[in-house]
Amino acid sequence: MAKRSPLSRFRRLLYVITILSVFFLLLHRISATNEPHFEGFDADEDDEFVIESNDVGPVRSRTPHISLSEPTSESLHGPPNPKPDSEILPPVSDPNSNSKPASTSFDYWDEDEFEGIPQDLSPENIAIKESATGSDFDLSSDPEKSDLGKDLKSEASDVRPPKNLMSYSIEIVCVTFLVVFAINYFTGKRENENLALAWASKFATKDSIFEKNFSLLGVGETEDSPLLLKEGNNVFKFYASGRRFCSGLLATMELKSRHDLISRLYNMVVPCKDVITFEVYMNDDAMDQVVFALARKKLAKTIQKEVRDLQRFAALVPPPSGKKWVPEELQVVSESKEVAGDLITDAVLDQVFGDKAFEKFGKDFISLHFSDQHLGSNKKMLVLKFALPDANHMADMSRLIALVPYYIDLIGRYKLSSQARSKTEAARLKVAQEIYKELQNARQEALQQKKAEQRKKLEEAQSKLSAEALRKKEAKERARQMKKSSSKLKISRAN
Amino acid sequence: MASQSNDPRQPSAARPYKPSIVAPQDLPIDYSGFIAVVFGVFGAMFRYKLCSWLAIIFCAQSLANMRNFENDLKQISMAMMFGIMGLVTNYMGLGPRSSPKS
Repeated sequence: MAKRSPLSRFRRLLYVITILSVFFLLLHRISATNEPHFEGFDADEDDEFVIESNDVGPVRSRTPHISLSEPTSESLHGPPNPKPDSEILPPVSDPNSNSKPASTSFDYWDEDEFEGIPQDLSPENIAIKESATGSDFDLSSDPEKSDLGKDLKSEASDVRPPKNLMSYSIEIVCVTFLVVFAINYFTGKRENENLALAWASKFATKDSIFEKNFSLLGVGETEDSPLLLKEGNNVFKFYASGRRFCSGLLATMELKSRHDLISRLYNMVVPCKDVITFEVYMNDDAMDQVVFALARKKLAKTIQKEVRDLQRFAALVPPPSGKKWVPEELQVVSESKEVAGDLITDAVLDQVFGDKAFEKFGKDFISLHFSDQHLGSNKKMLVLKFALPDANHMADMSRLIALVPYYIDLIGRYKLSSQARSKTEAARLKVAQEIYKELQNARQEALQQKKAEQRKKLEEAQSKLSAEALRKKEAKERARQMKKSSSKLKISRAN
Repeated sequence: MASQSNDPRQPSAARPYKPSIVAPQDLPIDYSGFIAVVFGVFGAMFRYKLCSWLAIIFCAQSLANMRNFENDLKQISMAMMFGIMGLVTNYMGLGPRSSPKS
Protein backbone atom coordinates (compact mmCIF):
# COMPACT_ATOMS: atom_id res chain seq x y z
CA MET A 1 0.00 0.00 0.00
CA ALA A 2 2.00 3.02 -1.19
CA LYS A 3 1.40 5.91 1.09
CA ARG A 4 3.47 8.40 -0.89
CA SER A 5 4.37 8.15 -4.53
CA PRO A 6 8.09 8.20 -5.38
CA LEU A 7 7.61 11.49 -7.25
CA SER A 8 6.31 13.38 -4.25
CA ARG A 9 9.09 11.84 -2.15
CA PHE A 10 11.72 13.16 -4.54
CA ARG A 11 10.00 16.52 -4.70
CA ARG A 12 10.11 16.79 -0.95
CA LEU A 13 13.75 15.73 -0.99
CA LEU A 14 14.45 18.52 -3.47
CA TYR A 15 12.76 21.04 -1.20
CA VAL A 16 14.84 19.88 1.72
CA ILE A 17 18.02 20.08 -0.31
CA THR A 18 17.28 23.63 -1.49
CA ILE A 19 16.52 24.80 2.04
CA LEU A 20 19.71 23.20 3.26
CA SER A 21 21.83 24.69 0.53
CA VAL A 22 20.45 28.18 1.23
CA PHE A 23 21.16 27.69 4.94
CA PHE A 24 24.67 26.44 4.15
CA LEU A 25 25.40 29.38 1.86
CA LEU A 26 24.21 31.92 4.39
CA LEU A 27 26.30 30.47 7.17
CA HIS A 28 29.27 30.15 4.88
CA ARG A 29 28.97 33.85 4.05
CA ILE A 30 28.84 34.75 7.72
CA SER A 31 31.80 32.55 8.53
CA ALA A 32 33.75 33.89 5.54
CA THR A 33 33.36 37.49 6.66
CA ASN A 34 34.44 36.57 10.18
CA GLU A 35 37.53 34.64 9.14
CA PRO A 36 40.02 37.44 8.66
CA HIS A 37 39.30 38.84 12.08
CA PHE A 38 39.59 35.77 14.19
CA GLU A 39 40.71 32.71 12.27
CA GLY A 40 44.21 34.11 12.32
CA PHE A 41 44.47 33.25 16.02
CA ASP A 42 43.63 29.58 15.58
CA ALA A 43 46.24 26.89 15.37
CA ASP A 44 46.80 27.08 11.60
CA GLU A 45 49.93 29.13 11.32
CA ASP A 46 50.42 28.86 7.60
CA ASP A 47 46.91 30.07 6.99
CA GLU A 48 47.48 32.94 9.38
CA PHE A 49 50.04 34.59 7.21
CA VAL A 50 48.03 33.97 4.10
CA ILE A 51 45.06 35.66 5.70
CA GLU A 52 47.14 38.55 6.94
CA SER A 53 48.63 39.25 3.55
CA ASN A 54 45.11 39.38 2.19
CA ASP A 55 44.17 41.78 4.92
CA VAL A 56 47.08 44.01 4.10
CA GLY A 57 45.44 44.63 0.78
CA PRO A 58 42.18 46.13 1.99
CA VAL A 59 43.97 47.96 4.77
CA ARG A 60 46.26 49.60 2.29
CA SER A 61 43.34 50.56 0.11
CA ARG A 62 41.66 52.18 3.06
CA THR A 63 44.57 54.33 4.10
CA PRO A 64 44.75 56.57 1.02
CA HIS A 65 41.32 57.92 1.93
CA ILE A 66 42.42 58.73 5.44
CA SER A 67 45.73 60.12 4.33
CA LEU A 68 44.04 62.41 1.81
CA SER A 69 42.16 64.10 4.57
CA GLU A 70 45.43 65.07 6.25
CA PRO A 71 47.74 66.27 3.47
CA THR A 72 49.84 68.59 5.58
CA SER A 73 51.07 66.04 8.10
CA GLU A 74 52.27 63.55 5.51
CA SER A 75 54.50 65.92 3.59
CA LEU A 76 56.56 66.78 6.65
CA HIS A 77 59.21 64.64 8.23
CA GLY A 78 59.73 66.48 11.43
CA PRO A 79 56.47 67.08 13.19
CA PRO A 80 54.98 63.64 12.51
CA ASN A 81 57.90 61.98 14.30
CA PRO A 82 56.95 62.92 17.83
CA LYS A 83 53.29 62.72 16.90
CA PRO A 84 53.19 58.97 16.26
CA ASP A 85 54.84 58.36 19.61
CA SER A 86 52.28 60.41 21.45
CA GLU A 87 49.40 59.07 19.42
CA ILE A 88 50.32 55.45 19.65
CA LEU A 89 51.08 55.46 23.36
CA PRO A 90 47.44 56.07 24.36
CA PRO A 91 46.17 52.92 22.62
CA VAL A 92 49.03 50.94 24.14
CA SER A 93 48.37 52.11 27.67
CA ASP A 94 44.61 51.86 27.28
CA PRO A 95 43.87 48.69 25.34
CA ASN A 96 40.16 49.27 25.21
CA SER A 97 40.27 52.65 23.58
CA ASN A 98 38.61 53.26 20.26
CA SER A 99 40.31 52.37 17.03
CA LYS A 100 40.81 55.93 15.80
CA PRO A 101 44.39 56.48 17.07
CA ALA A 102 45.31 53.06 15.79
CA SER A 103 44.01 53.90 12.34
CA THR A 104 46.01 57.08 12.18
CA SER A 105 49.15 55.08 12.97
CA PHE A 106 48.46 53.15 9.76
CA ASP A 107 48.88 56.29 7.73
CA TYR A 108 52.43 56.66 8.86
CA TRP A 109 53.35 53.04 8.38
CA ASP A 110 52.05 52.67 4.87
CA GLU A 111 53.73 55.74 3.47
CA ASP A 112 57.23 55.06 2.14
CA GLU A 113 58.44 58.32 3.65
CA PHE A 114 57.99 56.95 7.10
CA GLU A 115 59.82 53.68 6.77
CA GLY A 116 61.97 54.44 9.73
CA ILE A 117 59.12 54.84 12.14
CA PRO A 118 57.79 51.29 12.21
CA GLN A 119 61.26 50.04 13.26
CA ASP A 120 61.37 52.53 16.14
CA LEU A 121 57.92 51.64 17.23
CA SER A 122 58.18 47.91 16.74
CA PRO A 123 60.21 47.12 19.89
CA GLU A 124 57.75 49.10 21.99
CA ASN A 125 54.83 47.42 20.31
CA ILE A 126 56.32 43.95 20.59
CA ALA A 127 57.18 44.33 24.25
CA ILE A 128 53.84 45.77 25.21
CA LYS A 129 51.76 43.46 23.07
CA GLU A 130 53.47 40.38 24.40
CA SER A 131 52.93 41.45 27.94
CA ALA A 132 49.35 42.43 27.30
CA THR A 133 48.21 39.41 25.37
CA GLY A 134 50.79 36.76 26.16
CA SER A 135 49.85 34.72 23.13
CA ASP A 136 52.31 33.07 20.78
CA PHE A 137 53.04 34.81 17.54
CA ASP A 138 55.63 33.66 15.02
CA LEU A 139 57.76 36.46 13.64
CA SER A 140 58.34 36.29 9.95
CA SER A 141 61.49 37.48 8.26
CA ASP A 142 59.67 40.54 7.01
CA PRO A 143 59.45 43.01 9.91
CA GLU A 144 56.90 45.22 8.23
CA LYS A 145 54.49 42.41 7.75
CA SER A 146 54.91 41.22 11.30
CA ASP A 147 54.41 44.71 12.64
CA LEU A 148 51.34 45.12 10.55
CA GLY A 149 50.20 41.82 11.92
CA LYS A 150 50.96 43.02 15.43
CA ASP A 151 49.01 46.16 14.87
CA LEU A 152 46.14 44.19 13.41
CA LYS A 153 46.38 42.13 16.53
CA SER A 154 46.34 45.22 18.69
CA GLU A 155 43.32 46.49 16.89
CA ALA A 156 41.70 43.14 17.25
CA SER A 157 42.64 42.87 20.90
CA ASP A 158 41.14 46.30 21.50
CA VAL A 159 37.78 45.04 20.43
CA ARG A 160 38.33 41.37 21.24
CA PRO A 161 35.35 40.15 23.25
CA PRO A 162 32.58 41.01 20.76
CA LYS A 163 34.62 39.67 17.81
CA ASN A 164 35.24 36.44 19.70
CA LEU A 165 31.53 35.82 19.97
CA MET A 166 30.87 36.80 16.38
CA SER A 167 33.48 34.43 15.07
CA TYR A 168 31.94 31.54 16.98
CA SER A 169 28.71 32.04 15.06
CA ILE A 170 28.59 28.59 13.50
CA GLU A 171 29.13 26.87 16.82
CA ILE A 172 26.56 29.01 18.59
CA VAL A 173 23.96 28.48 15.90
CA CYS A 174 24.52 24.73 15.75
CA VAL A 175 24.57 24.19 19.48
CA THR A 176 21.40 26.21 19.96
CA PHE A 177 19.79 24.25 17.14
CA LEU A 178 20.72 21.00 18.85
CA VAL A 179 19.39 22.21 22.18
CA VAL A 180 16.13 23.33 20.59
CA PHE A 181 15.99 20.01 18.74
CA ALA A 182 16.30 18.08 21.98
CA ILE A 183 13.61 20.16 23.68
CA ASN A 184 11.33 19.79 20.68
CA TYR A 185 11.85 16.03 20.65
CA PHE A 186 10.37 15.61 24.08
CA THR A 187 7.54 18.10 23.65
CA GLY A 188 6.63 16.78 20.21
CA LYS A 189 6.67 13.19 21.39
CA ARG A 190 4.36 14.03 24.25
CA GLU A 191 2.05 15.97 21.95
CA ASN A 192 1.74 13.04 19.59
CA GLU A 193 1.09 10.64 22.44
CA ASN A 194 -1.59 12.93 23.82
CA LEU A 195 -3.28 13.11 20.47
CA ALA A 196 -3.29 9.34 20.06
CA LEU A 197 -4.57 8.84 23.59
CA ALA A 198 -7.27 11.43 23.06
CA TRP A 199 -8.49 9.50 20.05
CA ALA A 200 -8.38 6.21 21.89
CA SER A 201 -10.17 7.56 24.92
CA LYS A 202 -12.94 8.89 22.72
CA PHE A 203 -13.42 5.91 20.43
CA ALA A 204 -11.85 2.84 21.96
CA THR A 205 -12.53 2.83 25.67
CA LYS A 206 -15.64 1.68 27.52
CA ASP A 207 -19.01 2.41 25.95
CA SER A 208 -17.39 3.73 22.85
CA ILE A 209 -18.24 2.81 19.31
CA PHE A 210 -15.51 0.22 18.89
CA GLU A 211 -16.19 -1.34 22.22
CA LYS A 212 -19.78 -1.85 21.18
CA ASN A 213 -18.81 -3.38 17.88
CA PHE A 214 -15.81 -5.56 18.59
CA SER A 215 -15.21 -8.07 21.30
CA LEU A 216 -11.42 -7.93 21.37
CA LEU A 217 -9.79 -4.53 21.52
CA GLY A 218 -6.08 -3.91 21.69
CA VAL A 219 -2.86 -5.47 20.57
CA GLY A 220 -2.27 -8.10 23.19
CA GLU A 221 -3.66 -11.55 23.87
CA THR A 222 -5.80 -10.96 26.94
CA GLU A 223 -8.59 -8.63 27.89
CA ASP A 224 -6.35 -6.19 29.70
CA SER A 225 -4.02 -5.70 26.76
CA PRO A 226 -2.90 -2.18 25.86
CA LEU A 227 -5.11 -0.49 23.34
CA LEU A 228 -2.51 1.27 21.25
CA LEU A 229 0.75 0.01 19.81
CA LYS A 230 3.41 2.65 19.41
CA GLU A 231 5.50 1.82 16.38
CA GLY A 232 7.43 5.04 16.21
CA ASN A 233 7.20 8.50 17.64
CA ASN A 234 4.51 9.36 15.14
CA VAL A 235 2.90 5.99 14.25
CA PHE A 236 0.29 4.37 16.48
CA LYS A 237 -1.77 1.26 15.79
CA PHE A 238 -5.08 0.13 17.17
CA TYR A 239 -6.46 -3.35 16.61
CA ALA A 240 -9.94 -4.72 17.12
CA SER A 241 -11.39 -8.10 16.36
CA GLY A 242 -14.42 -10.24 16.96
CA ARG A 243 -17.26 -9.10 14.78
CA ARG A 244 -19.50 -10.55 12.18
CA PHE A 245 -18.46 -10.23 8.54
CA CYS A 246 -14.89 -9.28 9.29
CA SER A 247 -11.90 -10.89 10.86
CA GLY A 248 -10.39 -7.75 12.25
CA LEU A 249 -9.79 -4.06 12.01
CA LEU A 250 -6.46 -2.26 12.13
CA ALA A 251 -6.40 1.50 12.59
CA THR A 252 -3.05 3.17 11.88
CA MET A 253 -2.52 6.72 13.04
CA GLU A 254 0.25 8.47 11.15
CA LEU A 255 0.80 11.77 12.85
CA LYS A 256 2.98 14.68 11.85
CA SER A 257 6.59 14.31 12.92
CA ARG A 258 6.32 16.75 15.75
CA HIS A 259 9.29 15.23 17.55
CA ASP A 260 11.67 16.04 14.70
CA LEU A 261 12.47 19.73 14.38
CA ILE A 262 13.67 19.53 10.78
CA SER A 263 10.46 17.78 9.69
CA ARG A 264 8.44 20.28 11.62
CA LEU A 265 10.10 23.17 9.80
CA TYR A 266 9.64 21.33 6.53
CA ASN A 267 5.95 20.81 7.26
CA MET A 268 5.56 24.53 7.68
CA VAL A 269 6.53 24.86 4.04
CA VAL A 270 4.82 21.72 2.70
CA PRO A 271 1.57 21.15 4.59
CA CYS A 272 0.88 17.81 6.17
CA LYS A 273 -2.02 16.24 8.05
CA ASP A 274 -2.49 13.77 10.86
CA VAL A 275 -4.06 10.77 9.13
CA ILE A 276 -5.88 7.75 10.51
CA THR A 277 -6.32 4.75 8.20
CA PHE A 278 -8.79 1.98 8.95
CA GLU A 279 -8.20 -1.40 7.34
CA VAL A 280 -11.04 -3.85 7.77
CA TYR A 281 -10.22 -7.41 6.80
CA MET A 282 -13.42 -8.91 5.45
CA ASN A 283 -14.28 -12.57 5.57
CA ASP A 284 -14.18 -14.44 2.29
CA ASP A 285 -17.85 -15.23 2.28
CA ALA A 286 -18.87 -11.77 3.47
CA MET A 287 -17.74 -9.67 0.54
CA ASP A 288 -19.05 -9.89 -2.99
CA GLN A 289 -17.21 -8.62 -6.06
CA VAL A 290 -17.08 -4.95 -5.25
CA VAL A 291 -14.49 -2.42 -6.37
CA PHE A 292 -15.40 1.04 -5.16
CA ALA A 293 -13.61 4.20 -4.15
CA LEU A 294 -14.68 7.65 -3.09
CA ALA A 295 -12.41 10.66 -2.64
CA ARG A 296 -12.02 14.32 -3.46
CA LYS A 297 -11.75 15.04 -7.17
CA LYS A 298 -7.99 15.43 -7.55
CA LEU A 299 -7.16 12.55 -5.27
CA ALA A 300 -9.72 10.32 -6.98
CA LYS A 301 -8.08 10.84 -10.35
CA THR A 302 -4.65 10.10 -8.90
CA ILE A 303 -5.69 6.91 -7.17
CA GLN A 304 -7.58 5.67 -10.18
CA LYS A 305 -4.36 5.88 -12.15
CA GLU A 306 -2.00 4.58 -9.48
CA VAL A 307 -3.79 1.92 -7.46
CA ARG A 308 -3.66 -1.38 -9.30
CA ASP A 309 -7.10 -2.77 -8.76
CA LEU A 310 -8.81 0.52 -9.48
CA GLN A 311 -6.73 0.87 -12.60
CA ARG A 312 -7.73 -2.56 -13.81
CA PHE A 313 -11.35 -2.76 -12.89
CA ALA A 314 -12.80 0.64 -12.11
CA ALA A 315 -13.49 3.91 -13.85
CA LEU A 316 -14.58 7.38 -12.80
CA VAL A 317 -18.34 7.42 -12.40
CA PRO A 318 -20.13 10.62 -13.34
CA PRO A 319 -23.02 11.67 -11.12
CA PRO A 320 -26.22 10.08 -12.41
CA SER A 321 -29.15 12.30 -13.12
CA GLY A 322 -32.28 12.11 -11.06
CA LYS A 323 -30.64 10.58 -8.04
CA LYS A 324 -29.28 12.01 -4.84
CA TRP A 325 -25.53 11.89 -5.07
CA VAL A 326 -22.36 13.02 -3.38
CA PRO A 327 -21.47 16.72 -3.65
CA GLU A 328 -19.33 18.21 -6.38
CA GLU A 329 -16.05 18.02 -4.49
CA LEU A 330 -16.21 14.26 -4.29
CA GLN A 331 -15.67 11.78 -7.08
CA VAL A 332 -16.82 8.18 -7.23
CA VAL A 333 -14.61 5.50 -8.80
CA SER A 334 -16.36 2.20 -9.30
CA GLU A 335 -16.51 -0.93 -11.37
CA SER A 336 -20.22 -0.65 -11.94
CA LYS A 337 -22.60 2.24 -11.53
CA GLU A 338 -25.20 0.03 -9.97
CA VAL A 339 -22.91 -0.98 -7.19
CA ALA A 340 -21.90 2.62 -6.65
CA GLY A 341 -25.51 3.63 -6.33
CA ASP A 342 -26.15 0.82 -3.89
CA LEU A 343 -23.27 1.73 -1.70
CA ILE A 344 -24.11 5.41 -1.48
CA THR A 345 -27.28 4.96 0.48
CA ASP A 346 -29.66 7.60 1.71
CA ALA A 347 -28.54 7.13 5.25
CA VAL A 348 -24.95 7.83 4.32
CA LEU A 349 -25.93 10.88 2.34
CA ASP A 350 -28.00 12.23 5.18
CA GLN A 351 -25.37 11.73 7.77
CA VAL A 352 -22.09 12.43 6.10
CA PHE A 353 -21.95 12.76 2.35
CA GLY A 354 -24.97 14.81 1.50
CA ASP A 355 -24.48 18.41 0.48
CA LYS A 356 -25.39 19.87 3.85
CA ALA A 357 -23.86 17.19 5.97
CA PHE A 358 -20.60 17.22 4.07
CA GLU A 359 -20.08 20.89 4.73
CA LYS A 360 -20.36 20.30 8.43
CA PHE A 361 -18.79 16.90 8.94
CA GLY A 362 -16.87 16.17 5.82
CA LYS A 363 -13.79 18.29 6.22
CA ASP A 364 -11.81 15.47 7.81
CA PHE A 365 -12.71 12.94 5.14
CA ILE A 366 -9.92 11.82 2.82
CA SER A 367 -10.90 8.62 1.00
CA LEU A 368 -12.77 5.32 0.95
CA HIS A 369 -11.59 2.27 -0.93
CA PHE A 370 -13.51 -1.01 -0.82
CA SER A 371 -12.19 -3.82 -2.92
CA ASP A 372 -11.99 -7.56 -3.12
CA GLN A 373 -8.97 -7.40 -5.38
CA HIS A 374 -6.50 -5.54 -3.23
CA LEU A 375 -2.84 -6.14 -3.80
CA GLY A 376 -1.04 -7.98 -1.04
CA SER A 377 -2.00 -10.83 1.19
CA ASN A 378 -5.44 -9.56 2.21
CA LYS A 379 -7.52 -9.36 -0.92
CA LYS A 380 -10.85 -8.42 0.57
CA MET A 381 -10.42 -5.20 2.44
CA LEU A 382 -12.17 -1.96 3.24
CA VAL A 383 -9.81 0.98 3.58
CA LEU A 384 -11.04 4.26 5.01
CA LYS A 385 -8.83 7.29 5.50
CA PHE A 386 -9.66 10.31 7.60
CA ALA A 387 -7.75 13.30 8.87
CA LEU A 388 -7.44 13.59 12.60
CA PRO A 389 -8.70 16.74 14.28
CA ASP A 390 -6.73 18.10 17.20
CA ALA A 391 -6.98 16.61 20.64
CA ASN A 392 -9.76 18.83 21.91
CA HIS A 393 -12.06 18.34 18.94
CA MET A 394 -12.08 14.59 18.64
CA ALA A 395 -15.84 14.48 18.68
CA ASP A 396 -15.92 16.15 15.28
CA MET A 397 -15.10 12.90 13.58
CA SER A 398 -17.63 10.69 15.32
CA ARG A 399 -19.86 10.56 12.27
CA LEU A 400 -16.96 9.56 10.08
CA ILE A 401 -15.97 6.86 12.54
CA ALA A 402 -19.54 5.63 12.54
CA LEU A 403 -19.17 4.96 8.81
CA VAL A 404 -16.80 2.10 9.63
CA PRO A 405 -19.24 -0.35 11.26
CA TYR A 406 -22.00 0.83 8.97
CA TYR A 407 -20.09 -0.10 5.87
CA ILE A 408 -18.90 -3.37 7.37
CA ASP A 409 -22.51 -4.39 7.78
CA LEU A 410 -23.61 -2.98 4.45
CA ILE A 411 -20.95 -4.74 2.43
CA GLY A 412 -21.23 -7.87 4.50
CA ARG A 413 -24.86 -8.17 3.55
CA TYR A 414 -24.65 -6.87 0.02
CA LYS A 415 -25.23 -9.21 -2.91
CA LEU A 416 -24.73 -8.20 -6.48
CA SER A 417 -27.56 -8.46 -8.95
CA SER A 418 -27.13 -11.02 -11.69
CA GLN A 419 -26.41 -8.45 -14.39
CA ALA A 420 -23.77 -6.73 -12.41
CA ARG A 421 -22.28 -10.03 -11.42
CA SER A 422 -21.95 -11.21 -14.98
CA LYS A 423 -20.05 -8.09 -15.91
CA THR A 424 -17.73 -8.27 -12.97
CA GLU A 425 -17.14 -11.97 -13.50
CA ALA A 426 -16.13 -11.37 -17.10
CA ALA A 427 -13.73 -8.61 -16.12
CA ARG A 428 -12.13 -10.71 -13.44
CA LEU A 429 -11.73 -13.72 -15.65
CA LYS A 430 -9.93 -11.58 -18.18
CA VAL A 431 -7.58 -10.19 -15.62
CA ALA A 432 -6.99 -13.61 -14.12
CA GLN A 433 -6.07 -14.98 -17.54
CA GLU A 434 -3.65 -12.15 -18.12
CA ILE A 435 -2.02 -12.79 -14.78
CA TYR A 436 -1.79 -16.48 -15.58
CA LYS A 437 -0.14 -15.74 -18.92
CA GLU A 438 2.35 -13.46 -17.26
CA LEU A 439 3.14 -16.12 -14.72
CA GLN A 440 3.64 -18.69 -17.44
CA ASN A 441 5.97 -16.40 -19.33
CA ALA A 442 7.92 -15.75 -16.22
CA ARG A 443 8.17 -19.47 -15.53
CA GLN A 444 9.35 -20.20 -19.05
CA GLU A 445 11.99 -17.54 -18.82
CA ALA A 446 13.17 -18.96 -15.55
CA LEU A 447 13.34 -22.44 -17.05
CA GLN A 448 15.30 -21.19 -20.03
CA GLN A 449 17.73 -19.44 -17.78
CA LYS A 450 18.20 -22.58 -15.78
CA LYS A 451 18.82 -24.60 -18.90
CA ALA A 452 21.37 -22.12 -20.15
CA GLU A 453 23.14 -22.23 -16.82
CA GLN A 454 23.18 -26.00 -16.86
CA ARG A 455 24.60 -26.03 -20.35
CA LYS A 456 27.35 -23.69 -19.28
CA LYS A 457 28.18 -25.90 -16.36
CA LEU A 458 28.32 -28.96 -18.56
CA GLU A 459 30.62 -27.25 -21.00
CA GLU A 460 32.91 -26.19 -18.24
CA ALA A 461 32.91 -29.66 -16.83
CA GLN A 462 33.70 -31.07 -20.22
CA SER A 463 36.52 -28.65 -20.77
CA LYS A 464 37.88 -29.55 -17.40
CA LEU A 465 37.54 -33.19 -18.16
CA SER A 466 39.31 -32.74 -21.44
CA ALA A 467 42.14 -30.98 -19.67
CA GLU A 468 42.27 -33.74 -17.12
CA ALA A 469 42.02 -36.35 -19.83
CA LEU A 470 44.97 -34.75 -21.58
CA ARG A 471 46.95 -34.87 -18.39
CA LYS A 472 46.00 -38.47 -17.84
CA LYS A 473 47.00 -39.30 -21.37
CA GLU A 474 50.32 -37.60 -20.88
CA ALA A 475 50.83 -39.41 -17.62
CA LYS A 476 49.96 -42.72 -19.27
CA GLU A 477 52.34 -42.02 -22.08
CA ARG A 478 55.13 -41.24 -19.69
CA ALA A 479 54.37 -44.39 -17.77
CA ARG A 480 54.46 -46.39 -20.98
CA GLN A 481 57.76 -44.86 -21.92
CA MET A 482 59.12 -45.60 -18.52
CA LYS A 483 57.91 -49.15 -18.81
CA LYS A 484 59.40 -49.48 -22.22
CA SER A 485 62.71 -48.23 -21.02
CA SER A 486 62.53 -50.42 -17.98
CA SER A 487 61.36 -53.39 -20.01
CA LYS A 488 64.42 -53.00 -22.25
CA LEU A 489 66.53 -53.24 -19.20
CA LYS A 490 64.69 -56.29 -18.16
CA ILE A 491 65.25 -57.85 -21.48
CA SER A 492 68.84 -57.02 -21.26
CA ARG A 493 69.05 -58.51 -17.81
CA ALA A 494 67.30 -61.59 -18.85
CA ASN A 495 69.75 -61.80 -21.58
CA MET B 1 -25.96 3.81 11.79
CA ALA B 2 -25.42 2.28 15.22
CA SER B 3 -25.51 -1.46 15.60
CA GLN B 4 -28.92 -3.05 15.40
CA SER B 5 -30.76 -4.73 18.20
CA ASN B 6 -28.63 -7.83 17.93
CA ASP B 7 -25.06 -7.43 19.07
CA PRO B 8 -22.64 -7.37 16.12
CA ARG B 9 -19.86 -8.74 18.28
CA GLN B 10 -18.71 -12.29 17.84
CA PRO B 11 -16.25 -13.23 20.54
CA SER B 12 -15.70 -16.58 18.91
CA ALA B 13 -14.41 -14.93 15.78
CA ALA B 14 -11.87 -12.81 17.60
CA ARG B 15 -8.30 -13.28 16.44
CA PRO B 16 -5.29 -11.81 18.22
CA TYR B 17 -3.14 -9.21 16.53
CA LYS B 18 -0.31 -10.42 14.36
CA PRO B 19 2.06 -7.64 13.36
CA SER B 20 2.84 -7.76 9.67
CA ILE B 21 6.47 -8.65 9.05
CA VAL B 22 8.30 -6.13 6.93
CA ALA B 23 11.49 -7.29 5.24
CA PRO B 24 14.48 -5.11 6.10
CA GLN B 25 14.85 -4.08 2.48
CA ASP B 26 11.32 -2.75 2.30
CA LEU B 27 11.72 -0.43 5.24
CA PRO B 28 11.62 3.28 4.40
CA ILE B 29 15.08 4.59 3.57
CA ASP B 30 16.78 6.54 6.31
CA TYR B 31 17.63 9.62 4.31
CA SER B 32 18.79 11.66 7.27
CA GLY B 33 21.29 9.00 8.31
CA PHE B 34 22.70 8.86 4.80
CA ILE B 35 23.00 12.64 4.60
CA ALA B 36 24.66 12.61 8.03
CA VAL B 37 27.33 10.21 6.78
CA VAL B 38 27.91 12.29 3.66
CA PHE B 39 28.31 15.51 5.61
CA GLY B 40 30.49 13.80 8.21
CA VAL B 41 32.92 12.51 5.61
CA PHE B 42 32.92 15.89 3.87
CA GLY B 43 33.60 17.78 7.05
CA ALA B 44 36.35 15.45 8.19
CA MET B 45 38.12 15.41 4.85
CA PHE B 46 37.80 19.01 3.75
CA ARG B 47 37.90 20.60 7.19
CA TYR B 48 34.59 22.38 6.97
CA LYS B 49 33.29 22.98 10.47
CA LEU B 50 29.80 23.62 9.22
CA CYS B 51 29.65 20.22 7.52
CA SER B 52 30.66 18.44 10.71
CA TRP B 53 28.04 20.29 12.69
CA LEU B 54 25.42 19.53 10.08
CA ALA B 55 26.42 15.88 10.28
CA ILE B 56 25.76 15.93 14.02
CA ILE B 57 22.40 17.61 13.47
CA PHE B 58 21.31 15.03 10.93
CA CYS B 59 22.50 12.27 13.24
CA ALA B 60 20.22 13.72 15.85
CA GLN B 61 17.33 13.69 13.41
CA SER B 62 18.06 10.09 12.46
CA LEU B 63 18.15 9.13 16.14
CA ALA B 64 14.83 10.84 16.71
CA ASN B 65 13.23 8.95 13.84
CA MET B 66 14.73 5.61 14.76
CA ARG B 67 12.12 2.87 14.87
CA ASN B 68 13.91 -0.40 15.22
CA PHE B 69 16.48 -0.06 17.94
CA GLU B 70 18.85 -2.85 16.99
CA ASN B 71 18.90 -2.44 13.23
CA ASP B 72 19.12 1.30 12.92
CA LEU B 73 21.62 1.94 15.68
CA LYS B 74 24.55 0.62 13.64
CA GLN B 75 24.13 3.13 10.83
CA ILE B 76 23.44 5.98 13.21
CA SER B 77 26.51 5.21 15.31
CA MET B 78 28.62 5.08 12.17
CA ALA B 79 27.32 8.48 11.05
CA MET B 80 27.87 9.89 14.50
CA MET B 81 31.44 8.64 14.56
CA PHE B 82 32.15 10.40 11.29
CA GLY B 83 30.67 13.60 12.61
CA ILE B 84 32.59 13.50 15.87
CA MET B 85 35.79 12.67 14.03
CA GLY B 86 35.19 15.67 11.80
CA LEU B 87 34.62 17.94 14.78
CA VAL B 88 37.72 16.67 16.57
CA THR B 89 39.94 17.18 13.53
CA ASN B 90 38.50 20.63 13.00
CA TYR B 91 38.85 21.89 16.55
CA MET B 92 41.85 20.11 17.90
CA GLY B 93 43.89 20.25 14.72
CA LEU B 94 45.18 16.71 14.86
CA GLY B 95 47.28 15.24 12.13
CA PRO B 96 49.16 16.87 9.29
CA ARG B 97 47.67 20.04 8.07
CA SER B 98 49.76 20.89 5.05
CA SER B 99 47.66 18.79 2.71
CA PRO B 100 43.90 18.74 2.69
CA LYS B 101 43.95 14.98 2.21
CA SER B 102 43.75 13.24 5.55
